[in-house]
Amino acid sequence: MKAGTPRIVLIQVVSLGLALVTWEGLARAGWVDPLFVPAPSAVARSFGSMAGLALGGLADTLGKTAVAYVLAVVLGVAAGVAIGSARALNDVLHPFVVALYGIPKILVLPWIVLLLGYGTAPAVAYGALHGFFPVMVIVIGAVRDVDRTLITVARAFGARPWQLYLKVVLPAIVPSVIAAMRLGLVFCLLGVLVVEMFAGIRGMGYVMSSLANAFRAPELFAATGLVSIASIAIVLALDALNERLSRWR
Amino acid sequence: MKTALARLGLLAALVLAWEGAARAGSPLLYVPPSSALPALRDLLLLRSYPDLPSHLLLTVREIAIAYALSVGAGLAVGFALGLYRTVGRAYGPILAALYAVPSVVWYPSLMLFFGLDAASKIAFGFLLGFFPITLAVLAGIRQVNPQLVTVARAFGARPLTIFLKVLVPGMLFTLVGGLRTGLALSVIGVIVGEVLGSKAGMGALINHAYGLLRTADYVALVVLTLAVIAASDVAASLLERRAQRWTE
Repeated sequence: MKAGTPRIVLIQVVSLGLALVTWEGLARAGWVDPLFVPAPSAVARSFGSMAGLALGGLADTLGKTAVAYVLAVVLGVAAGVAIGSARALNDVLHPFVVALYGIPKILVLPWIVLLLGYGTAPAVAYGALHGFFPVMVIVIGAVRDVDRTLITVARAFGARPWQLYLKVVLPAIVPSVIAAMRLGLVFCLLGVLVVEMFAGIRGMGYVMSSLANAFRAPELFAATGLVSIASIAIVLALDALNERLSRWR
Repeated sequence: MKTALARLGLLAALVLAWEGAARAGSPLLYVPPSSALPALRDLLLLRSYPDLPSHLLLTVREIAIAYALSVGAGLAVGFALGLYRTVGRAYGPILAALYAVPSVVWYPSLMLFFGLDAASKIAFGFLLGFFPITLAVLAGIRQVNPQLVTVARAFGARPLTIFLKVLVPGMLFTLVGGLRTGLALSVIGVIVGEVLGSKAGMGALINHAYGLLRTADYVALVVLTLAVIAASDVAASLLERRAQRWTE
């Protein structure tokens, strides 16, 4: 996201403000049922009463996401490099990769919960599974796109296989790996939240679905806002890091 | 030919390995193909779930409505943001920021607002399908060579003519790709919604079978759902190929 000109920023601020004011007005005038759509002021007030619960849940969720994310990136990049650099392997596995990448993972979630029970383990496993495939698919594509002449030249100059990977292939795929890491993070967080909603005993997904079941709309909206802000902040931080890295390269 | 053989061999090896591993484990947790197939037959013959057709129909209907809504809204918002510069620069970043939020965050609010019935699943499927379509329209508009628009205008083409004869053909490929992704995500949205909480639909049946530890029935339901999803994707890819041929 680029920072806009002052005029653009003004439009953004004014329209967000207008939206909030309209929403508050509608809620106060009784046009929307506050049981389902609470006024922004009520949401803001509920922040105070549920901050402890929500921040604890968020910390729990982000901890699980971090473990799942490390698993997804490490395994995804390793599998992507392995499959991408062996042509025959890639040809044989291609339909399997496409099929596994494409199927909605939610269908295997009940089975994962049967195997691993409730709590942290299924959230980490499902989050990692969710993030693994997009990372792997992007890395396979990146490895296949590495300039063939670079590899031929390196081989001609007597590079050993490990040198070929370390000095030619890995540097060439860094931009794609970073793009994959950005995407993978959102996928892992999504996976962890889904498990927490489906079979959680802790974490933000569990907090949110319990709030929804208890019809505590203001707290639910506050929690939703909190997770959204957290994930936008994480993605923006990754983007900033990415920009710095690309300038450095 | 050799690749196809290797693929078949791998598939056979996987099925055999699954059969062996599943037989060694508890039948409540592991379902070998040899018991998944009879379960699938019972499912299709309506023995295990006699009301399967109505659930399947409900899921398909939810997907169809959600997708229709996301196509309509995605095209409208995409063109509004892409054709009016100021609007695009003001609201594009807000949309991009919302896209970075894991979508399932919105689901509890939707469930609270729309209830446990079909409406919340339709709303979630709509939300998931909406973003890729909007983003594809934006990317597509950026792809069209602005000189083409200038020339068309110089020859006196009206805005509608420019839109239909220059803009849409120029971006069709990207647009169709976005429509296909949108369908896949609408499908996922509806199914995720059903699994997270519903009274009817394929997700509800899956939850029922899983909850009662009828694991073989669960596997059969998953296979059937996957078949429906695969069919929708094949249909979408045929349309995509058609559009591709048309633009070339």
